[in-house]
Amino acid sequence: MKMSGRCAATVLACAVGIGIEAAAVSGVLAQDASFLPRFPILLSELTAPAIDRGIHEFDPVRAPRTEGTTLQIAADGEPFLRGSIIVKFRPGTSPDAQRAMLSQVNGALTPPLSYANFDIVSIPDTADPEATARRLEAQPDVDYAQARYRIYPQFVPNDPMYARQWNYPALDMERAWDINPGATASVTVAVLDSGVAYRPALMRYNARFPFRATPGGPVLPALGLIDVPFAAAPDLGGADRFVAPRDFIWETTTPMDLDGHGTHVAGTIGQLTNNSIGVAGMAFNVRLMPVKVIAGDWDFILGSPLQGTDDVVARGVRYAVDNGAQVLNMSIGRTGPPAPVVQEAITYAVSRGAFVVVAAGNEFEIGNPVERLAEFAPLIQGMVAVAAIGRDRRRAFYSNTGPYIELAAPGGNMRAGGSEGGILQQTYDFDFVDTFLGSAAQYRAPRFDVFAYQYFQGTSMAAPHVSGFAALLIQQGITKPAAIEAAMTRYATDLGAAGRDNEFGHGLINPRASLRGLGLAK
Amino acid sequence: MAATTASAQTRDFMVRGFGDVGSTTFTAAEQSFAAVLGSATGMVFGGGVEVVLPVRVFANVRASRFQETGQRVFLFEGEQFDLGIPTTITVTPVQLTGGYRFGASDRFVPYGGAGVGWYGFKEASQFSTDAENVDNRFTGFHILGGAEIGLRRWLALAGELQWSTVPDAFGDNPNSVSHEFNESNLGGTTFRFKIVVGM
Repeated sequence: MKMSGRCAATVLACAVGIGIEAAAVSGVLAQDASFLPRFPILLSELTAPAIDRGIHEFDPVRAPRTEGTTLQIAADGEPFLRGSIIVKFRPGTSPDAQRAMLSQVNGALTPPLSYANFDIVSIPDTADPEATARRLEAQPDVDYAQARYRIYPQFVPNDPMYARQWNYPALDMERAWDINPGATASVTVAVLDSGVAYRPALMRYNARFPFRATPGGPVLPALGLIDVPFAAAPDLGGADRFVAPRDFIWETTTPMDLDGHGTHVAGTIGQLTNNSIGVAGMAFNVRLMPVKVIAGDWDFILGSPLQGTDDVVARGVRYAVDNGAQVLNMSIGRTGPPAPVVQEAITYAVSRGAFVVVAAGNEFEIGNPVERLAEFAPLIQGMVAVAAIGRDRRRAFYSNTGPYIELAAPGGNMRAGGSEGGILQQTYDFDFVDTFLGSAAQYRAPRFDVFAYQYFQGTSMAAPHVSGFAALLIQQGITKPAAIEAAMTRYATDLGAAGRDNEFGHGLINPRASLRGLGLAK
Repeated sequence: MAATTASAQTRDFMVRGFGDVGSTTFTAAEQSFAAVLGSATGMVFGGGVEVVLPVRVFANVRASRFQETGQRVFLFEGEQFDLGIPTTITVTPVQLTGGYRFGASDRFVPYGGAGVGWYGFKEASQFSTDAENVDNRFTGFHILGGAEIGLRRWLALAGELQWSTVPDAFGDNPNSVSHEFNESNLGGTTFRFKIVVGM
């Protein structure tokens, strides 16, 4: 793969250009973003009401979506971005010394980023980001250097209400809610994900590039200027539920979900409950902070300036905790080499009093590689890595195993339990979103104002159970991250081998027991 | 001067009733009670029947009740997190005491004794099932000492200090504060005032 020389002049334009060229659409060059209107453009904050199309349980099975199969990966085949790396210099390193070190790798600092204690260094497109990072990391004044690895949602979607939500009875949530009925608005849970369907809007995008959605599939044309309707997910509640929204993919304050993953995850954390509508959520009174740090397929198609890479996630983590989030849900992840920039950000978040929940990964059947965003959970008291179980209380077929697994929660297993073995939540009706999966003739602008109840499975679905649980514990009085983790692990229901094990960690979360805490004698 | 109960007791067989109020401190599980109730000390109310023999020996049976409501907690690395779930601790000792009354004065009678007790212990928390609540009875031992002042022939006032031990009452459940603090004894010290009626 190669990059245009023009693209190398700007990191943002490069991020777009890499994928488009590699989509095997010859002749398309990356464009300099500075010559274009900045998209998306908010056309209207008022749109038609959201459309709820009910439950989707008999839709055809969709291709599993694990790491490496999103459009971005289909485009360039690499798990990281080229043309730039992440570097953290030791405090006190002079600018001259920084420049001298960077000159050895033909690198240059880019403008400072918000919510980042690291730098993005541009490097030649032809340079191997990993090798370049290793060379810099060998310098005494460099804390760490790493490639900008892409990060993905941790679920395996399968297209298709409370009686269908086996996951809550499995956690004895009815009795847990007797003790703590869904926390209160004093607790904020950040959803670091693909965004959330949290508000209505009519947005104008410029889909500038033709692309191929699947290897060997038809080249889909550039749609040009398109007006895309958004609506708030009806069962997530009104605007007062959402605080400090932020989009680190489009660098805006409107983290619209162009994917559906974040909306589904947010539902498990805080879907309105006992409202005679749809389904339930774990902590149904909390405030939600949508922080968009990963890009969905439509973000890619519409030319988002950034992708979900380690540095973007690290900034999102810092943003969330600096803006008052007490719980951070990260149903995202990646494999590959370690991610020190994310580890440092999570360490910072926990030191500021936030509890961090990370999905343990869905790659068990494809080699069970180490999930890099979850692996440091045992090192940070106040962060947990969550494995997934199915309705049968066995490890889900996809759920990673390893020494970093600390807890298990329902993530769904449709292989063992059919479609109803997944986790049901409201998100988009993908008939109106995944228009790029059909023929070129069917390809059209998406609609993000049509909703359905969908079964998903993945550690992405397990993690928000733990995040909602953390919110309940905070409301109940256990406010320190390390104590929250201790309350969770202490009362977890042991599954698998006796004691802590690599499949379930300390076991299945037991919210009621943790919320009850200790009596004098029992 | 009219004969008082105090002076009379040294000469006669007496059957008396008494009521008492006092303060008890669960010194053997001080941290556990303090964690859940906010203090290991609370009011205790009781009463009983006493027989005094002409040889200055007495025996009594006493029942009392301690009840306080606190909240369930979570403990982590020396820090306590209050969970706001009401939990009520009720301790109901039934004690059998034998002792000796010293006859230094007709109006002022020091006494001492020891005995055995059966200590009811209940812990009931909101949101808990019967199986999750505690309702047990344990055997313990106590010693006590006090002094009685005769006010009338049939009425006396006494002050009494008691120390008790009730081993293995709790602490075996790993999900308990007492387990965390490695405390298992329900015993402690109690100071009480008694009103004694009878002749």
